[in-house]
Amino acid sequence: MISFNNVNKYYGDFHVLKNINLMINKGEVVVIIGPSGSGKSTLLRCINRLETISDGSLTIGDKAIHDKNTDINKVRQRIGMVFQQFNLYPHKTALENITLAPMNVLKKSKEEAKETAEFYLGKVGIPNKASSYPSQLSGGQQQRVAIARALAMKPEILLFDEPTSALDPEMVGEVLDVMKTLAKEGMTMVVVTHEMGFAKEVGDRIIFIDEGQILEVADPVEFFENPQEDRAKLFLSRILNH
Amino acid sequence: MLDFSILIDYSDMLWDGFKVTIVASLIALVASFIIGTVVAVMRITPIAPLRWVGTAYVEFFRNIPLVVIAFFFFIGTPAIGIRFSGITAGTIALSIYTSAFIAEAVRSGILSIPKGQMEAARSSGLNYMQTMRMIILPQAIKIVIPPIGNQFINLVKNSSILALISGADLMYQADLISAKTFIVFDVYILVALLYLIITIPLSVGLRYIESRLANTY
Repeated sequence: MISFNNVNKYYGDFHVLKNINLMINKGEVVVIIGPSGSGKSTLLRCINRLETISDGSLTIGDKAIHDKNTDINKVRQRIGMVFQQFNLYPHKTALENITLAPMNVLKKSKEEAKETAEFYLGKVGIPNKASSYPSQLSGGQQQRVAIARALAMKPEILLFDEPTSALDPEMVGEVLDVMKTLAKEGMTMVVVTHEMGFAKEVGDRIIFIDEGQILEVADPVEFFENPQEDRAKLFLSRILNH
Repeated sequence: MLDFSILIDYSDMLWDGFKVTIVASLIALVASFIIGTVVAVMRITPIAPLRWVGTAYVEFFRNIPLVVIAFFFFIGTPAIGIRFSGITAGTIALSIYTSAFIAEAVRSGILSIPKGQMEAARSSGLNYMQTMRMIILPQAIKIVIPPIGNQFINLVKNSSILALISGADLMYQADLISAKTFIVFDVYILVALLYLIITIPLSVGLRYIESRLANTY
């Protein structure tokens, strides 16, 4: 479904992504982990062209993301994204945050968009927060609204960019629970995270990336119990034994 | 002491001038706000030629005197067969001149919105213009109300350049009255008060809008 072929990306002289080859299948939950600055967020952001690639090819289904002639707005309708900082629209209520894209991109009627929004607010466990502004919600609630906002577009793929990194520790669980449910329902998910428990439990595959290179692609259990690469071993020992 | 009997003798002229000042200011206020916002968006778009035009516009018009722009539209354009009345030429000049300053205020407001807002909206499939209109500008407006308010107040005062191109505004009428009556001091004191009647409520109104917006979210 998502396919990276020899993808490279440079910021000036800095080689951020080095010869990335990766296939992500429909229904798969792929977890990208690695030290900070390793390029994992950049890799994720290339998928919906928030970052452009310098060379190589990147396709989603039959759409070439690297091709300037591809109508990226059309492709983005099918890819939801959840950000570290939530990025809810502060001047709109939770409900308006969720209905905005369905109404203005998919041209749904207000009633239909509202119905969908209420359904997903229920699904993420905050049905009574529809009329709240983001500033009135906790971090965990905001991130769940952000997930509902992504889901309301009925996407084929969901991208998560460190969705729990900006949350208070006690709110991490409620967000991860929603993500687990989505994974079980067969959503295609690409998740950049430092939540190793989540990676191990929910991931179908772990991608370990460092200095812009994919160093290891492995089954989660295999990866956490028996990492092959020295750099992965070091990384795991640092984050698991603190 | 001050002789305000002129207020009664020449009340018609003053009233006419007052109306012209208000109408010219109001039109220029709306026009400069719209032009300024468009130019601000041009200045930050990813499309380079639009950015260049926007930058050239701002740098040109905010760095030349307003009077020059007013003279251009009053006595310059007839050379190419386009004739404007003093009021029209003055209002156009005011709109263009003020819009360059408003563009800068709006641009800085837009740039102060976290870039995650643009990314979230774009990644949901909204195009650039939809994102600007629905997500970025509504948030930026709140930030730019105070600096824009200053520009609006300047605009009302700057409308006095209409007097130089027979624009029949308040200042123009005051010049006529003082020339006729040889009363200078009193007339201009009175005119100053009449300008305050416009600018003070404008200030208060803008402060009210600012406080209203501050409490919305």
